[in-house]
Amino acid sequence: MTVALQSLRKFKGVAVAITLGAIGLSLFAGIWTWASAHLGNDVLLPSPLSVLSTYAELIADGSLAKDIGASIFRVFAGFSIASTIAVPLALVLAYSRILRGLVMPLIALIRPIPPIAWIPLAILWMGLGDPPSYFITSIAAFFPIFLNAFAGGTSLQQEHVNAARSLGAGPFALLTKVMLPSALPMIVTGLRIGLGQAWMAVVTAELIAAQSGLGYMIQISRLSLETSRVLVGMTVIGLLGAVMIGSLGVLERRFIVPWNYPR
Amino acid sequence: MARGVSPIHQRADYIETAPTGPAPHLHVVDPVPSHAQQKPRLSLDGVTVNFGARAVSAVQDVSLTIGAGEFVALLGPSGCGKSTLLNVMAGFCTPVQGRVLLDGEPLTGPSAKCGVVFQKHSLFPWMTALDNVAFGPRRLGLTNARQIAQDLLDIVGLAHVANEWPASLSGGMQQRVGIARALATRPPVLLMDEPFGALDAQTRSLMQEELLSIWDKLRPTVVFVTHDIEEAIFLADRVVVMQTYPGRIAREFAIDIPRPRSAEVLNDHAFIERRREITDVIRVEARKTFR
Repeated sequence: MTVALQSLRKFKGVAVAITLGAIGLSLFAGIWTWASAHLGNDVLLPSPLSVLSTYAELIADGSLAKDIGASIFRVFAGFSIASTIAVPLALVLAYSRILRGLVMPLIALIRPIPPIAWIPLAILWMGLGDPPSYFITSIAAFFPIFLNAFAGGTSLQQEHVNAARSLGAGPFALLTKVMLPSALPMIVTGLRIGLGQAWMAVVTAELIAAQSGLGYMIQISRLSLETSRVLVGMTVIGLLGAVMIGSLGVLERRFIVPWNYPR
Repeated sequence: MARGVSPIHQRADYIETAPTGPAPHLHVVDPVPSHAQQKPRLSLDGVTVNFGARAVSAVQDVSLTIGAGEFVALLGPSGCGKSTLLNVMAGFCTPVQGRVLLDGEPLTGPSAKCGVVFQKHSLFPWMTALDNVAFGPRRLGLTNARQIAQDLLDIVGLAHVANEWPASLSGGMQQRVGIARALATRPPVLLMDEPFGALDAQTRSLMQEELLSIWDKLRPTVVFVTHDIEEAIFLADRVVVMQTYPGRIAREFAIDIPRPRSAEVLNDHAFIERRREITDVIRVEARKTFR
């Protein structure tokens, strides 16, 4: 009875959210349509309908899928490099005062440099093509992942360590059963933010240093004044970014750190 | 650590011979009357702890012998070092002088022989109630860890929340899971650091009765830190009153109120008499440092 009531309430909540979202998006599309009709210039602002027909065109000739694939691959490459380095480094620094003292000032100095400022060096070192994009995306993803994982590592509670030791936990159990799970919620938050940053950075990198991908497609279309293609690129970036971050959020709540979201 | 040693509940000295009672692995220990102190289980000998980098209160030259199966309350105002003393017994901090003996052997660090119940928030939030309780038995490599955990949750009356996350349990429930977890390795000694301090008065009173009934079933040696005089008298066989600056034992009181005790003993003459005596001592001690 109460379970049914609860799920009904939840269903109602979801239905309301979807309805409101749909109304918001339709309002936006309406304003967009009105503005493009008012301007009457497809180079300045093509209507949503003509963007949709460009979508159909680019899906049909397969070029959109190719660009999306190239960008996603770069994001995951850079994201994987960043998380492989950032998470272990952050945890080691969280537990070692000497290493922390050595490395943290450097991190503090490098962190404010925006990923885009690394592009000249990246091109000088790696030329054009994929490697500079991996580099830029991993720089972008590194800091949110590192900083959150570090916060997770330092948030370890002495009570948990004491409790585990008084229950017979040795160093290995302490690491795998207490320290890592205790840092995990913050690590996952860092990964989610890092993924978002990497996704934004890949477009920047492709605008300048690549010959494929959504950023490259936007750049080429800008030069040929095909604004509806630019808008296709932009909306795909928005859509895919939202889907990626949203699904990581679902994974987080359901499977990775469900204890942080008790019913 | 307890590795290499056979699991506590399998050792001959912890196995109950009587066939009655709960599952054999839950049954214990010293079937001696609690007041009898034939063999010391835990003894502190001239223990001194200084103010260190940590925010702990100093303890000076404390000697205390606790018998097997005895329930001792450490009572005193905040800053008297009662929690520090408990941390020493748990092996979390090492005294600069003196020594701690557990069953006649020097204590070298935390181990599954001393279960600890903390004031609050010590359950592992990333484990269900059941996994929290099974944590200790699993570390000891027991294959029936799950069963042990289930039985203990049953004893503390929480079998129905076995699969809940700690965050979805009330404060009183969390503390009961904490007690079950500390008991799961069948420790001969249970150390409790103001375990009910964060609970509301009603819950606290229920928890005290609950604790006595658990203690009656399993009869571990208990050291119970509190600043609540009535709680100390209600629970313990012996109340050790501590004084501040430096943390020392001021006086000890044997509590001869018969068991089993229920909330009614709070109105008994013997209870009120004990409370008056102890309150007098505490007042004198508190006045010394009250400016």
